[in-house]
Amino acid sequence: MPDIEPFSPRGMFHEGWTAEVNDYAIACGWALKGKQFIVGDVAGGIFAFEGDTGKIIWKKENTHSGGLLAMAIHPEGEIFATSGQDGNVQICNCHEGKVIKTLDLGKGWVEHLKWSNDGLFLAIASSKKVYVFNEVGEEKWISEDHPSTVSAITWSNKNELATACYGRVTFFDVVNNKTNQKLEWQGSLVSMELSPDGDIVACGSQDNSVHFWRRSTGMDAEMTGYPSKPSHLSFDDSGKLLATSGSERITVWSFIGNGPEGTMPGELCHHTEPISSLAFSNKGMLVASGSRDGSVVASFLKNDGNGDPVGAAFAGDLVGAISWRPDDCALAAVNAKGVVNVWKFKVRTNLFSKGFK
Amino acid sequence: MSIKDKVPVTILTGFLGSGKTTLLNRILSEEHGKRIAVIENEYGEVGIDQGLVINADEEVFEMSNGCICCTVRGDLIRVLGNLMKRRDKFDYVLVETTGLADPGPVAQTFFMDEEISSEFTLDGIVTLVDAAHIDQQLGRSDESSEQVAFADVLVLNKTDLVSDDALNTLESRLRDMNRMTRIIRAENAKVPIETVLNLSAFDLDQILKRRPTFLEPEYPFEWTGVYDLDAGKYELMLEDGPDPEMSLVALLNQGESEKELKDGAESSVRLYAEKANTLEPRNTIPYGEHINLKLDDKGNKSFILKIEKPTKIGLFTQHTAEEFNMKVIKSEDNKEIPFNTERFWQAEHEHDDEVGSIAIERFGDVDPEKLNTWMGRLLSEKGVDIFRTKGFISYSGNPRRIVFQGVHMLFTAQPDKEWGNEPRRNQLVFIGRNLNEKEMQEGFDKCLI
Repeated sequence: MPDIEPFSPRGMFHEGWTAEVNDYAIACGWALKGKQFIVGDVAGGIFAFEGDTGKIIWKKENTHSGGLLAMAIHPEGEIFATSGQDGNVQICNCHEGKVIKTLDLGKGWVEHLKWSNDGLFLAIASSKKVYVFNEVGEEKWISEDHPSTVSAITWSNKNELATACYGRVTFFDVVNNKTNQKLEWQGSLVSMELSPDGDIVACGSQDNSVHFWRRSTGMDAEMTGYPSKPSHLSFDDSGKLLATSGSERITVWSFIGNGPEGTMPGELCHHTEPISSLAFSNKGMLVASGSRDGSVVASFLKNDGNGDPVGAAFAGDLVGAISWRPDDCALAAVNAKGVVNVWKFKVRTNLFSKGFK
Repeated sequence: MSIKDKVPVTILTGFLGSGKTTLLNRILSEEHGKRIAVIENEYGEVGIDQGLVINADEEVFEMSNGCICCTVRGDLIRVLGNLMKRRDKFDYVLVETTGLADPGPVAQTFFMDEEISSEFTLDGIVTLVDAAHIDQQLGRSDESSEQVAFADVLVLNKTDLVSDDALNTLESRLRDMNRMTRIIRAENAKVPIETVLNLSAFDLDQILKRRPTFLEPEYPFEWTGVYDLDAGKYELMLEDGPDPEMSLVALLNQGESEKELKDGAESSVRLYAEKANTLEPRNTIPYGEHINLKLDDKGNKSFILKIEKPTKIGLFTQHTAEEFNMKVIKSEDNKEIPFNTERFWQAEHEHDDEVGSIAIERFGDVDPEKLNTWMGRLLSEKGVDIFRTKGFISYSGNPRRIVFQGVHMLFTAQPDKEWGNEPRRNQLVFIGRNLNEKEMQEGFDKCLI
């Protein structure tokens, strides 16, 4: 890691806890309303830690033969789902890690999992198909084959699921089994995020651009100039700003006014190597970024997408995933060496003059 | 991360039934102590016996600009992306493509995708060829020509089903299409493992060591023998050979150093350009003239060489001496005079396939800016038809030579070893379809300082 010296948490990052899992940590998330933190590693190990202390609560190994590919924690935080190269999805209980249901979807990799916001549905992408199950693992809907492997899925509202694959984004009404909208673009879409109101569909593309559509007007636009593909995208909770990876800088597009078409994006230059994870806080214009250089930075943004770092820490190696605690009072980062870091994030407000606990 | 730390990847291509799966199984079952991951997308045929085998979907992605040169394989990106996260890292990755696949998008993935290219290096492309059927396929399908054009190594498989003559003809046809490639003959895909793994196929030094003539201009003759002769009368004796005639140029005072041989070759090229005079057996060979030896008769044929004072003569012959068991015999005592030096040349072949290769070799430095402009234009205009580019160049003012390799219009250039005392030069090879050699050489010459 050139030009990066290990450093202790700075600014609004404060000492929290650290732990280790068996292999490259690729997925993580907060469960039980922040009381628990769950980490999945590439070999199929799943580890649950106490949110405040990092004490291990339970762990499971080799949950998916061939390896783990994705994990999603239910919005209520009581159950979670994992998937892997074995073509299986497991729905488990957060308290003990016990498997409630195993879904066998065949021999394709299961790469994407998403719970609907109300928690009623779990969407699963495996190869060219997308499946929707309910909380207890009953099948509710299956898509036709997409033209290519589905590269991203996300819920736009209660019953509407968006899927991205080579050449298009499709919106499905999974309750009435119909296609609501198809947005086409000849390009390999590698990531997708929807604005919170569901109107803006942003996709990172293999040819180093971000393509987005406004569903209400049908207009689309392409933002180019990235040195590499923008695999990570994140909207803030108001839908005003879209943070994107694609280099060692975070490029932030502002949708305020007539933007972002024809405007200059905000740029945050805190890392020395490309961004490997990106997440807006649950509330507010605060974006956290992890990099291949092992650094993690949180920045407060202004309406134009520019901003300043307010906290930083060194996670030791390529940051595989980051996750804000539901109350935004802690930030977790997991890395390629299997190290888990959780920092307390303290912000002064009128209510908490000395910061959160 | 340096190239050495990156995980090498071999792409294995070949038509259906050419023996890819047999070769894969052979590689996986051999004791080599390597951890090999195999990414395959061909269900069926014969199953793979062991090793980590991952099925990929073979998704070819064309970018929004619609340029076929910018296609990549989405499935590979996903599979490799996941592989590189594992702690039990692999020493080697083999990617098997389906029989009908164009190796281009697979190879391009290693140039186009920044995350993949930072962890993996394309070590080489191995194409399996079914010796019994490729001849027909080459004429019929573009894919098979392309698979030959992309290959760093061609495994000419099932040689037991074909006669030696047919194999020789096929090999020379394949060599015309791709001068960079190494051709290995095999029965039942039996090839040493090191011929398909760790090829360092882009290591030009290795290629040059293996085939020192591959970058040379093509000559209308294959062989030169230099004989040190005293004054007197000699006979050039030829036995039956593959051709009822053979053209030849004999030069007096031919030196034996590499430079003198090349000078002699240059003079002979000019003489070869003139119409040959036919010479019947028992006639005297004139010096410095293009002649055509008549070899219709059965058995030994001899032609006369007269030497007035001791000298070295150079015989520049259309075929190698070996093919006709050619000898120089002193008439006086019937004693054979062995040659002092022999030299093989890259012989000119008739290019009947659209796919072929072009080599450029020039001493001196190039102007990097001019080269960039020229290469940029060449690859954007002809990128679809240029399958592979390899070479090294000498940038003025740069103490290191620049090594580059490319697939279609994508290429990487990186500084290599220092020139030191070696004369600075440029060697480039382009393999592709309908390439205009003269135009490309002239274009490159304009980049020289």
